[in-house]
Amino acid sequence: MSSEPVIKLSNISKKYILKGYKSRTLREDIESIFSRKYKPDLSKNEFWALKDINISINKSESVGLYGPNGSGKTTIIKLISGVTLPTLGEITINGTIAPLISVGAGFHPELTGRENIYTNGTILGMSIKYLKSVEDDIINFSGLDKKFINMPVKQYSSGMNARLGFSVAVHSNADIFLLDEIISVGDEEFKNKCTEKVKSLMNMNKTFLIVTHNHELLKTMTNRIIYIKNGSIEDNL
Amino acid sequence: MIIIKRLYPYKDLLFVSIWREFGVRYRNSVLGILWAIVQPLSLMILFTFIFTYVMKVKTGGYPKPVFFYSALLPWIFFSSALNTAISSLSGSQGLITKIYFPREVLPISGVCVAFIDLLIASSFYIVLLLYYNIDLNLTIIWIIPIFILLFLYTLSVSLIFSSLNVYYKDVSLLTGFLLRLLFFGSPILYSIDSLSIKLKLILFLNPLTFIIENTRRVILEGRSVVIWQFLLATVLVLILFHFAYKLFIKIERNFADVI
Repeated sequence: MSSEPVIKLSNISKKYILKGYKSRTLREDIESIFSRKYKPDLSKNEFWALKDINISINKSESVGLYGPNGSGKTTIIKLISGVTLPTLGEITINGTIAPLISVGAGFHPELTGRENIYTNGTILGMSIKYLKSVEDDIINFSGLDKKFINMPVKQYSSGMNARLGFSVAVHSNADIFLLDEIISVGDEEFKNKCTEKVKSLMNMNKTFLIVTHNHELLKTMTNRIIYIKNGSIEDNL
Repeated sequence: MIIIKRLYPYKDLLFVSIWREFGVRYRNSVLGILWAIVQPLSLMILFTFIFTYVMKVKTGGYPKPVFFYSALLPWIFFSSALNTAISSLSGSQGLITKIYFPREVLPISGVCVAFIDLLIASSFYIVLLLYYNIDLNLTIIWIIPIFILLFLYTLSVSLIFSSLNVYYKDVSLLTGFLLRLLFFGSPILYSIDSLSIKLKLILFLNPLTFIIENTRRVILEGRSVVIWQFLLATVLVLILFHFAYKLFIKIERNFADVI
């Protein structure tokens, strides 16, 4: 086990513009494309979603993020997965990331379950070759009946959708898993299956960052929990 | 080339998105891929009718159906690629705000799907050429570099318009209008042969003029493209592509925040 952090956030701040305002003129937008100047102060319609965050996560650690709605948990996940960039500070990532942020993102309703394994899997960074090798595992894990897998997913129930989506995501061969509120999909039985699967991945030296409002679950699944409130770290246990 | 560096790790995603877009487009339709031929074919029939019976116009001695179809192939590719690409980013909000992948995958797939349509529609072009007994010679090979140039030009415009459309919804409104203007600004219904040199130069500011004129030239007239003209056009399109891609990468990083 190496002590090198695989995820490191140094002095991260993220500024967002309140939607609904027409914040800048076209001229200012064009100017900002060609210049890199940074204004540290907030304009009247901006706010800090995250302020001066420092997080360091080592390999094969499992860390929970806990905090009220709107505290910045999802923003942290988005920064780590590269969906959005920090306003200030630096992020270093060592390893490949599986961002299990919303299950079934990229599912196309007209395509069959089997076809969607490939569309969703490649979006999550898996190769076609790899997906071929785990296709059966994914279908088995999802618990979907063989007769449903060749049906378009628009005919699936939301539970079936979520199960297939989760199943694709946990079969990723990435090193780092980001889980944002996705353990709680499906029925009780599937939930337990998911928890087991996540635990078995943890034993395979994968690194986990888990966001959920289920504090009990976090306690059992993580080594430590980072408490976030109003965009700052309150406690790091 | 930066595009290879960025997209090589995501080649499977690109492949699957093209396959997905193409598959979804014609799934559950009775005609299926024949739709790729229906559009140029019906416009060709309409133009032939109008310019034979309503307004009598000479088309350089070539049968009107092949004359129009030669121009409709590149034109329909350009307009449908642009239309697909423009909504590709703004229509994928769910993906863009949740998962990172090089965003150009989406507009590029849109352009590639339109290109597959172009290839399908081209098969009917061959039927037309044989039916009208057009003498074909080896200059037909020029169609490959011409179509590659067309692809690159369309991709550049698509990258610029699709990324700006994330910021300003005006872009998609503007495009519908621009495409209608450009339709008449391109030599689809006419040929530039009989125009004055001054008018020709103005029309050549539109790269589609070069592409459409040369498509007719290498196939209907059996003449080669003038090499220096082709090189000049290629260099200009490459420069455009370079800046379009640079702009795209520059503003891509904010997509998730503004979409």
